[in-house]
This record gives sequence, structure tokens and C-alpha cells, in this order.
Amino acid sequence: MSLARIFQENPERRYIMFGGKGGLGKTTFSAATAYWLAQQGYRALVFSVDPQASLSDIFQQDIFGKGAVEIIPNLFAQEIDADRRIREYQDEIRQKIRDMYGLEKVPDEIEDYIQAAAAEPAMEESAIFDQVVDIVVGGEYDYYIYDLVPLGHALYYLSMASVYDQWIQKITKLREEMEEYAQVAALLQREDEMEEDKILAELQDIRYRISTSSSILTDREKTAFFFVLVPEEMVLVDTKKAAGLFAKFQVPISGYIVNRVLPPELEAQEIPEYLRHRIHMQKKYLAEIDRLFGNEVLARIPEFERDITGLDMIQRMAEAMFGGAA
Amino acid sequence: MTEKKRKGSLWETAKSILYGMAGHDMARFALKTRGSMEHLFILITMGDLLGVPILPPYYSLRLLPYVVPQISTWKRRMLRERDLTDALA
Repeated sequence: MSLARIFQENPERRYIMFGGKGGLGKTTFSAATAYWLAQQGYRALVFSVDPQASLSDIFQQDIFGKGAVEIIPNLFAQEIDADRRIREYQDEIRQKIRDMYGLEKVPDEIEDYIQAAAAEPAMEESAIFDQVVDIVVGGEYDYYIYDLVPLGHALYYLSMASVYDQWIQKITKLREEMEEYAQVAALLQREDEMEEDKILAELQDIRYRISTSSSILTDREKTAFFFVLVPEEMVLVDTKKAAGLFAKFQVPISGYIVNRVLPPELEAQEIPEYLRHRIHMQKKYLAEIDRLFGNEVLARIPEFERDITGLDMIQRMAEAMFGGAA
Repeated sequence: MTEKKRKGSLWETAKSILYGMAGHDMARFALKTRGSMEHLFILITMGDLLGVPILPPYYSLRLLPYVVPQISTWKRRMLRERDLTDALA
């Protein structure tokens, strides 16, 4: 099974993700996939959900916090500036408080809380997570390619989604019960009008946003999740573990891509012992990968002689991934 | 006309008496329960204000504007010492 065929046979899978340990080539693959899709005539958006994003580096163009930037026709890239988003969000909250109560300034106690909340470590992830909903629900593109955070974060992301969802469900229920009591009291005191519960509406919206973004991650019909690995022992062990965990969160794994494979034809040439050893080592793990994942291994990408940055290299990478003509 | 009005107010008075006898306690109870639940609600959404983080702060901020007036009374209630007379209230 090849990578190009996966895309051709599952045209409804429009959310594409690459996951794996840090530094294995997720961003490179995301960029090359978006490039290939754009060449096929699809509008493709590759966006980064990583606070330390590197799409700007790979496209050699500063796109950080600039919204979706068109790199070449049909290929868009976006890096979310989480810090700025958080600051804007804090300002929105302050403005709302001032408007609602006609205040000149936000009370100190509340202001302290707004600032303390923004310092939370999970704040950045939450902000990005929340922005992803806007991007994806917008529906402006044929393909959405997530440049995912390293595995640990991605799992945190997923578990966060399911915990958030259940939590908000509980709170919403409590809020609804509160409504009932208020209604009973209003009925007994024969008050006709009851103020509509705005908090309940907010909760329902929060729940909608969380479940939208998490349901995309786990939608077998619309999502393709590819694991990136390299033929090394540690990576192999971690990938096995992660694949198990992802399966537990019902993430549909579409296949595995092996990166940084040393060209085997080198072995026939005069090469130093050092390189021969590495090729030998890789062979062993490549066999192990084939044994473990069988025909779910979709591509073996060779180690290139230089960095993958700039459109020419991205094009070469796309050819290695999807085959020249496709 | 006056007769009708008097009859109306008589009926109103009767309704009020009836409400006082039967409904008032129930309404008071319902409102009290509603009030306790309000405090519980703020605790589980704004817990960080007391140092108990519960709802992810990104989303608790969204609810903050609605509970601003309740925050001070809620903090007092949550941090207050309790004694036996609380059980009677």
C-alpha cells in the first residue's frame, strides 16, 4: 500500500495528521503533503498546533501569527500565535466585564484572577486547541493538515479533550438543575418572566467547541493519522507504546512512514565502517518494523543529503513520499 | 365596576394567603437550593480563585464575567468557619 493510494482511495479523509516523537520529520511531512495536495489541485492548509512551530523555517518565510498565508497557489500555511491569542482573549474578557457592569476598570480581585489564569501552563495548549475549532469549522479548504505536537503533547491533547468534554457535560447538567429550581420558585411566586441563563449558553458553546475538535481527531471517516518513525530501537519502542495509547483514544491510525532510511545501495560502494554499521543497524530495525506493522508501512523515505527547507527540497520530499507522477 | 375590583382584590388576597401558607416555604427552599448550587457552580468553575483548579482556566475565564457580582459573597461563604448553628439555618 502506498501513501498516494491511501489518499486516492479515501477521498473523504480530509484531516491529515502526522504524529511521532519530536524531531523525526513531522513538520517536513506535513509541508510536503500539503505541497503534493496543492499540486493535485486541492486547496490545502497546513497549520501548526505546536507553540514551538517550525513551518516558518521550512517554508523559509515568516508566517508566525499572520493567519493563513498562501505559499504557492492552493497551498496555505498557518502558525498560531498562542501568546497573542491569549492576550486578545484576556482583553475580550475585561471588556465584557466592564460593559456588563458599567465599570471603569475591572475590580482588582478579578484582574488578579485573569492574570493568574493566563500564566497556567495548559493555557497555551487550550488557546491553540480552541483556535483549531475556528480554522476547521470555517471549511474553507479541501484538506487540513495538522502539524502535530510531539507524541506526549498529542496524547495530552486527546485526553484533555475527553476530560473537558465529560467535565463540561457534568457542569452543564448542574446548571440545568439550577434552572429547574429557579423555575419552581418563579412559578410559586407567580413571576412570569425568567432571565435566560447566559452561563448555560456559554457552557453549551464551550462543549460544542471541545467536542468538535476532539471528534475530528477520532473520526475514522474523515481523519487520517500517520505515525512517523525512524529505524532506531528507542523510537520503535516508543512508537509501539504510543500506537497502543492512540488506539485507546480511538484515533484511527492510517499507517506508518519510516523516515531517515540510509540508501541501501550505499553498501555496495566504498564506504567507511561507521556508515556500514549504521546501515546494518537500520536493516535490523527495518525488518522489525515490517514484522510489527506489515503492510501498514506506507513509505520509506531516504535520508537526504541536506536539510529539507525551501520549496525545492519540499518538492523532492513530496516525490519521495508520493512518487513522482502520482 | 367597583364590585368587580373588590372581588378581584379579594381573590388576590386569598391567593396571597394561600401562597403564604403553602407556597412560600417551598419557594424559599427552592431559592435556597438554587443559591447553594450557585455557590457549588462557582466553586467548580472558578475554583482557582481559592487555589483549587478544576475547570481548565481558558474556559473558566469565559464564564468569569457572569459571576463577578457573586465572587465576593461566594468567597466569604466558602472560606467561612462553620459551627453548630449552621445546621439549624
